[in-house]
Amino acid sequence: MRTLFTPSRAALLIFFVAAALLPFFVDPRGHLLRVAAMVLLFAAMAQSWNIVGGLANQISLGHAGFFGLGAYTSTLLFLKLGISPWIGMFAGAVVAGGAAVLLSIPTFRLKGHYFALATLAFAEVLRVIANSWADFTGGPVGLSIPFMGSQPAYFAFRAVSSYYWVILGLLAAVCLAFHLLASGALGYRLRAVRENENAAEVAGVNTFRVKLIASVISAALTAICGTVFAQFTFFFDPDSIFSLAGLSVRMAMIAIVGGLGTLGGPILGALFLIPLEETANAFLSSKAAGLSQFVFGVILIAAILIQPRGLMAWWPKPRRRRAEASRPAVAAPAAKGA
Amino acid sequence: MLQALIDGILLGGVYGVIATGLSLVFGVLGVVNFAHAEFLMLGMYVAWFAWRWLGLDPLLGSVLSFVIVFAVGYVVQRTLIERVLKAPPAAQVFLTVGLLIAIENAALMVFGSEFRSVSVPYQVQGYRLGDIFIGAPYLYAFAAAVILAAALWLFLERSWTGRAIRAVAQDAMAATLVGVDTKRTYGLAFGLGVALTAFGGAVILPYITVSPTVGGQFVVLMFTVVVLGGLGSVAGALAGGIMVGVVQSMSTLIFPIQLQNLCLFVIFIAVLALRPQGLIKGA
Amino acid sequence: MTAVLQAEGVSVTFGGLKAVDGVSFTLNAGEIVGLIGPNGAGKTTLFNALVGLQPLTSGAVRLGGETISGLKPHKVAAKGMTKTFQNAALFPDMSVLENVTTAALLRHDLKGARIKAERVLDTLGLGPIADADVQDLTFPQKALVEMARALATEPRVLLLDEVMAALTPSEMDEVMKVIRTLRDEGLALLVVEHHMRAIMALCDRLLAVNFGRLLAQGRPSEVAADPQVIEAYLGHGAAGQEGAHA
Ligand SMILES: Nc1ncnc2c1ncn2[C@@H]1O[C@H](COP(=O)(O)OP(=O)(O)O)[C@@H](O)[C@H]1O
Ligand SMILES: [Mg+2]
Repeated sequence: MRTLFTPSRAALLIFFVAAALLPFFVDPRGHLLRVAAMVLLFAAMAQSWNIVGGLANQISLGHAGFFGLGAYTSTLLFLKLGISPWIGMFAGAVVAGGAAVLLSIPTFRLKGHYFALATLAFAEVLRVIANSWADFTGGPVGLSIPFMGSQPAYFAFRAVSSYYWVILGLLAAVCLAFHLLASGALGYRLRAVRENENAAEVAGVNTFRVKLIASVISAALTAICGTVFAQFTFFFDPDSIFSLAGLSVRMAMIAIVGGLGTLGGPILGALFLIPLEETANAFLSSKAAGLSQFVFGVILIAAILIQPRGLMAWWPKPRRRRAEASRPAVAAPAAKGA
Repeated sequence: MLQALIDGILLGGVYGVIATGLSLVFGVLGVVNFAHAEFLMLGMYVAWFAWRWLGLDPLLGSVLSFVIVFAVGYVVQRTLIERVLKAPPAAQVFLTVGLLIAIENAALMVFGSEFRSVSVPYQVQGYRLGDIFIGAPYLYAFAAAVILAAALWLFLERSWTGRAIRAVAQDAMAATLVGVDTKRTYGLAFGLGVALTAFGGAVILPYITVSPTVGGQFVVLMFTVVVLGGLGSVAGALAGGIMVGVVQSMSTLIFPIQLQNLCLFVIFIAVLALRPQGLIKGA
Repeated sequence: MTAVLQAEGVSVTFGGLKAVDGVSFTLNAGEIVGLIGPNGAGKTTLFNALVGLQPLTSGAVRLGGETISGLKPHKVAAKGMTKTFQNAALFPDMSVLENVTTAALLRHDLKGARIKAERVLDTLGLGPIADADVQDLTFPQKALVEMARALATEPRVLLLDEVMAALTPSEMDEVMKVIRTLRDEGLALLVVEHHMRAIMALCDRLLAVNFGRLLAQGRPSEVAADPQVIEAYLGHGAAGQEGAHA
């Protein structure tokens, strides 16, 4: 039986409790709570990306594609057919999952850079389609979700705090999904694929299937984030929802700055980066256009150069179960202790 | 039809030179430079300022673009890229993506967001051959691209530095053993790669306006060209450039203008999926 | 005896190089067969072809009578054949136990896989280092973990690619003991090894290859005495061609 409360788990628990209580302590309509909601939403997006980027080490630069599919699917279903975004959210997840399968078939043989390029092109394709197929998608103008007051059944609330709690719940769900994946059988296989694909195959791992499953789950969760984002902001357009720098890169960057492939990484990364960007925006955007984005780029470069393993690298490593290692040492010939 | 073909070839020659730089960087350093199109933008600005302040025609200013961006590239490689050469692809990808964001926004701060264009006497002139009309700026840009490609070929074949670059691309370890300073060579190759692209940016200035976001228009195009030709293959990139130019100008005959890029993307993904080693190389 | 593995005219070509050239042989359950040949002879490539890592240019591979050539390695592993990697290809960010557990997942759920993995580690005497990071292991330990990981897939046929390189004589004896035990349990083993002493002591039969071709096969003493094999190792007449010395 392992200890239930490692420092990491305690920290996570404290984080979620503190986050849940935050709306009681800040202005429920204020800017601060909106920023906090964005932190949580970006943490959830980065965690979704982390499933593919961190666990399977498939560097996707196209997750904005899944995000946008989620936003468009739920919003179009609502605007055209009056279907509640709560349902549309899952429809979006299915659409994104399907897109992930379609994208995977041709691209999974690709490694590293090639995969990054192909996924980048995927999101760009969607952006171009959304821009040009104006009859259906609203084109470059984007889509607005009409304000309806408080209609919980239609994912519409008056108070920012309601959205905030929904987003927090989403983050918890995504983190749970990540944890279950990472620590379960699939997690073993994904790490094996990440570290040596040929050796994984020879050891009996169906590498294609493992990557496909991870990719579909990641895409579906990202799409759900997209729906939530659309409901929260009431408006989006193709260039922002399929944005390479604004979304695809940012999701990945949060996970990387926090710690690739770790459970806490995306949360740490979002807690660090989003407020930093907000502050930079607030103070710098009046100074010169582009300054805050410039700072964003510099931070990304600095993060890669200073600590490519992310903030989590400074977190105390979880102890392995040394206790179990002291089981009776059966005749240890060639292996002379570690 | 024939008109579209010729337009395509003229465009494509320039695309070829632009993408050659990207391919060279990958071939020698093994790094996919996502920020590459930003150096195209820098090259365009250098040429624009050379035109504005010195009255230089962009075709001449392109030499200045080449030199200045070469220096910038050399420094960027030695201070930043050098440090991730042995890092996993994720670190390389995100370092260059960070560079992309930083350069684009630095340009926005320094140059402002307005679109700038040059005016040259031959801008609307052209040559007529029967039914075919050849725009002068396109023709001159193509000619400049061809000259530069030839110079590049000579340089890589004949000069000691060029041969050192090729040696390092083939086997860095062996090159070190025969006395090549690999670090310096990496810097030179990167500088040369971005300078070629900057040159390409400068010569198209007479028919394309420059703004800080112009790189974005070229990213996928550039990668499509390079992937068609085989990542790392310089000759392949030139051929790939012409193919893309032709596809692009032919597709305007069939598709509305916004879908032109879509066509490219589809080719891009298809080629990546079916022949990641490139269509031209070894085809 | 029943032939569990049959290779029929297996060939692998890299560009113009015939790395494996029409190799045919059979392997029986409960038998240790040695595969010898100088460096670059094509032994590793043959292994890769057998397990499905390397597509065949021509020929066929049958496992228990069923054609498996063309299958992906994980399918081949599921059908009962796997290999170790010459340059230990462990999963570096995982512990020893996790490495082996991953392979045991082929036939068990996670809980069962852990138990299976621990059992395999114990039989190889690796129990005490189960929780070590594989990056901290010595080379011989890595080779043993490779073996443990392969065994965790519960194969009928196991291909061992130079697991005894870099072992001391006493360590070698221990590994040979393990290999014999596996044979006595009915496993078929194909073993690449450069130590002639180990090969002669261990193998029931030998296959000798050079330049991708099977030169000789038969009882160890016969094959070792075959003039062609001696020539391959000593390099007479092979002057100017690389890889002629072991
Ligand atoms: N992936 C590959 N591509 C091209 N040639 C290869 C490849 N793998 C092995 N070879 C060549 O095939 C031959 C056989 O190599 P290998 O099977 O590793 O020999 P061995 O294991 O007997 O030492 C060698 O000449 C080697 O250079
Ligand atoms: Mg070998």
